[in-house]
Amino acid sequence: MAGTVARGGPPRTRAERWGTLGLLSGPLAWLVLFFVLPVGFVAAYSFGVVRIFPTDGGPSLEDWERFLLGRSIYMGLFWKSVAMSFTVSAVVVLLAYPVGYYLALCVRKRKYVLLLLIIAPFLTSFLLRVLAWKVILGDRGVVNSLLYWLHLRPPGDPIPWLLYSQFTVMLVLAYVWVPFVALPIFASLDSLDRSLLEAAGDLGAGRWRTFLRVTLPLSLPGVTAAFVFVFVPTIGEFVTPQLVGGTAGYMYGNAINDLFTKGLDWQAGSVLAMFLLLVVVVLMMIFGRWVQVRSVAA
Amino acid sequence: MRTAEDPAASIGARRLLVLFFLGLVVFLYAPIAVLAVFSFNDGDVAFPLQGFTLHWYRDALTNPVLLGALRRSVVVATASSVVAVALGVLAATALVRRRFAGKPIVSALVFSPLVVPYLVFGISLLVIFTAVDKVLTETMGVYIGLGLHAIVIGHVVVSLPYTVLTIMPLLERLSRSLDEAARDLGADAWQTFRRVTLPLLMPAVVSSFLIAFTLSFDEYAIASFLSGTEPTWPVYLFAQLRVPSLLPQLVAISSIVLVASVVLVVSAEVGRRVAERRYGAPAVGA
Repeated sequence: MAGTVARGGPPRTRAERWGTLGLLSGPLAWLVLFFVLPVGFVAAYSFGVVRIFPTDGGPSLEDWERFLLGRSIYMGLFWKSVAMSFTVSAVVVLLAYPVGYYLALCVRKRKYVLLLLIIAPFLTSFLLRVLAWKVILGDRGVVNSLLYWLHLRPPGDPIPWLLYSQFTVMLVLAYVWVPFVALPIFASLDSLDRSLLEAAGDLGAGRWRTFLRVTLPLSLPGVTAAFVFVFVPTIGEFVTPQLVGGTAGYMYGNAINDLFTKGLDWQAGSVLAMFLLLVVVVLMMIFGRWVQVRSVAA
Repeated sequence: MRTAEDPAASIGARRLLVLFFLGLVVFLYAPIAVLAVFSFNDGDVAFPLQGFTLHWYRDALTNPVLLGALRRSVVVATASSVVAVALGVLAATALVRRRFAGKPIVSALVFSPLVVPYLVFGISLLVIFTAVDKVLTETMGVYIGLGLHAIVIGHVVVSLPYTVLTIMPLLERLSRSLDEAARDLGADAWQTFRRVTLPLLMPAVVSSFLIAFTLSFDEYAIASFLSGTEPTWPVYLFAQLRVPSLLPQLVAISSIVLVASVVLVVSAEVGRRVAERRYGAPAVGA
């Protein structure tokens, strides 16, 4: 851009403007038609502004009111999911931080190869990694059958909380997301100016103090990004709870899924879906400045 | 380093960190490894191991329903990633090379599918397809219905930000003077793109295609709402998990898919790096 400006004169000839329009028309048409329009339609549907089925009510705030004022079970379910994904995000960050720290600050050779080792599982099938845990933790699965075989537990008496519990859902979600957050944490620690650590040492700070006062604060943007990266997709999670959650691990996303696929009430489902979208958008507006879009594709 | 001690960690702390790192690697790989081991087990997916067999692989590879689902996923992933890459090249070119009013809004729109939950997007497409069909059947007696076309439409939307993000950095590094030289030598806009820009962009195009392909091939949430009577591989896999007798076959085929996807992703990344080093470097800097 600097080049064209330097040559003087605005580059916006008529031909170039048409060229830009030509470039953008395809992608924009696709996004407006198949992304903005459907989501907008669901928003309108949630208020009853548009109707699909004869049973749908007319324009009203009733569904929103019932949900927001907690007169249905769904608000409680939402907070349960928030608590679960908050725990998962915290655990994931705590697991990934030491690894990021080790790779960024203690390893000199091959740190990117070792980083790839951590990230690689994220590139494999999500469903498959969840499936693996279902197979491992099932009543006749790998863990329980191993216990029977070793006579550590009588056959036919599986550990009850191993599958279909909140714990399982959180364990599997943490497992799924750890590789993903290792990247932003590593990146923030790797870009840290090493001389700051030496300076802190020269000024008499111990290693622990250096970590608390220098390293940790400087890596907080990466930590925040990592936290948001996990929190945002896990509040709306419904696949993992469906596979390993049972009734105890039922989450807000499952309620939305059921309202639509079991044909219970599409309008109520739209309210729930739009509320989830609202929450995610607000979170991204608050934390967006810490989350560089580009680090997703790094 | 001037100071005798490493400011990052003492020897003891370093050992702890190594242990932690190894522990995490085991945690990450053990479940996948267990799955792979049991795919060769001559019995149920449970201890004790019964002996080595390949018959789950043979069963899986001769199971027409399973292969049908895999084929559908290949079709959907190919179609959606071709469209997503094409649209991605256009959008990335506009965002990097052009000045226009409303650029921040366009860029926000292009990247917004990254934050919208797939669940919300999936039901939105389900709702709009149902609503459109309702209108069409009442007015014209036409019925589109759900199916692979609907999944392709959704996957293009969610793949687009990734293809744009993969293509933009290379585009930024490519010198504009190459384009300008082509134009000065008499090439029109299309020839310039076809003969100069696109060949230089090829590494990013290939790697964005592979990213979009893997994303689509593995995508369950959106596909689950839109597949209708044509389950793709993830939808089929999910539905069959309740049938215990099929489990070893599913595990076997999943192992193949896993290995294939790892090979694909790693070779894509290696290929991109090599290609960038070879072709990208001389063109760096505007």
